[in-house]
Amino acid sequence: MNRTATQLLTLVRREVLRFVRRPYNTFLPPIITNALYFAVFGVILGSRIGEIAGVSYIQFVLPGLVVLGAISDSFENASFTIFHGRWNEYIQAVTTSPMSHRSVVAAYVSASALRGIVTSLLIVGVGLVFTSVSVAHPLYLIAFVLVITTLFGGLGVIGGLWASDFDYLTVMNQFILRPLVFFGAVFYSLEVLPPLWRTVSLFNPMVYMVNGVRYGMIGVTEIEPTTSLLVLTGAAVAVLAVDLALFKRGYGLTE
Amino acid sequence: MTAPAIRTRELTKRYGDVQALAGLSLTVESGEFFGLLGPNGAGKTTFINTLVGLVDADGGEATVFGQDVEDDYREARDAIGLAPQEYNVDRFFPIHEVLEHKAGYHGVPEAEAEERAEDALKTVGIWDKRDTRFDWLSGGMKRRFMLARALVSDPDLLILDEPTAGVDVQLRHDLWEIINRMNDGGTTILLTTHYIEEAERLCDRVAIVDDGRKVEVATPDELMERGTDTVEIGLESPPATAPTLSVEGARDARMEDETLLVSAAGGSSLAPAIMRELEAAGHTVTSLDVRRASLEEVFVDMTRADHGGDTEVEMEVDA
Repeated sequence: MNRTATQLLTLVRREVLRFVRRPYNTFLPPIITNALYFAVFGVILGSRIGEIAGVSYIQFVLPGLVVLGAISDSFENASFTIFHGRWNEYIQAVTTSPMSHRSVVAAYVSASALRGIVTSLLIVGVGLVFTSVSVAHPLYLIAFVLVITTLFGGLGVIGGLWASDFDYLTVMNQFILRPLVFFGAVFYSLEVLPPLWRTVSLFNPMVYMVNGVRYGMIGVTEIEPTTSLLVLTGAAVAVLAVDLALFKRGYGLTE
Repeated sequence: MTAPAIRTRELTKRYGDVQALAGLSLTVESGEFFGLLGPNGAGKTTFINTLVGLVDADGGEATVFGQDVEDDYREARDAIGLAPQEYNVDRFFPIHEVLEHKAGYHGVPEAEAEERAEDALKTVGIWDKRDTRFDWLSGGMKRRFMLARALVSDPDLLILDEPTAGVDVQLRHDLWEIINRMNDGGTTILLTTHYIEEAERLCDRVAIVDDGRKVEVATPDELMERGTDTVEIGLESPPATAPTLSVEGARDARMEDETLLVSAAGGSSLAPAIMRELEAAGHTVTSLDVRRASLEEVFVDMTRADHGGDTEVEMEVDA
């Protein structure tokens, strides 16, 4: 293995071990939260709602919950690890090392994306307790999950570099991400919205993510999936470029 | 010819109204044990942080073994092992893993990183604490660990920012021994310290910096030569007031406890002339001692002169 690969894998390993060794903080919360979602929205309310787009409500909601978990955890992982490292200054072990800026960004984003993917699988696992899970378009599903977790891992890097206090992390997660997801057609179909709100919803990037993963899982979407995938891929590349520029500039890291 | 371990030219850095570095130029040769002395706020840590990329200099240039710290940052940083003054250790992992990660960031493969972590922890004497997290180490062990982390990448340049601050005498001597061994093995050492004895005992050369500028660079002996010695002369019949001396270089003659004290730069060489003048004036000299200026006194003189003599300089002298 060459030197650059060793450096990259060391940081990825460190990041993965950090979240794997703390399952009560990292994996248990999405399991419990999603079990509650499935129980309340799927079983209790779902039985009264009936079918949407030809599938039961719980199956309709499942892809949205996967997206919710994937983006929350990939964003949270990157933002927390970078902010906490800055707060306690141990990130300096990385930033004063001979690692290239590109390797550092790749390691933080890929480890965070991996956490988002593991969370997605756990949510699917919880879903299996309540309903059957289908995969209509596996390649689309894999592509959407990879792009979404990479995009939010990259956004988490920006958040972690920008935050100057723990409050900033809460603000980003609770007041920006969560509302976008809840209005991102996780729990409802765009068809039920009045025309004006339906148009407004199309400016919410979460709508494209939720519909993309929904297409991959149950074969139903309200937005053309290939276009969504291309736009999200473009967004992910742009965010990674910003990450790289910030590390090169030493934003939030150097005096 | 080997490039200097550190070469900086006209480094400047300003924080708001504070000029932390004001055109600092220094050269540390490869293999040297170099001390950086200066009062608090002199710019020592800013200087070090510029070398490792934690501070962006406003101007000037810096190289480490000929590699520019900005343009060739990967090569420059690969050569450096840093033990900073403040604890900045990953609290999520036991200390042996922290060292393995640090070695890995320098491109050391996993199996070798484990061996290096073991060697480093054994070198500083805390191998039995390898599964402990940093927070649970005692103060002395934390200092030992900081040195271990700096060593684990096998650096050519070891930068130690006050490595013995707040540690007991025994540990300080242990750390000196380790650092000396590294230097004997060819590692260049840059040491900042508040303990003058440390610089006197360890360093080949020291730079005195103040207000972000270099005041002087010399060996500890050369610096002490420039200091003011005290010539202590016992007289058979001590007068109440000090006799007037005309020897050039002798100044501030005074009586203390019936002993004549004469301040003089280069006291040893002036002592015979002083004795001759005293005997010519009818005094009988019964004893003579020359107390050399300490590096601490030279340091205080130099930094005080730099501040117009009105600045309190904080330094510590270890017994």
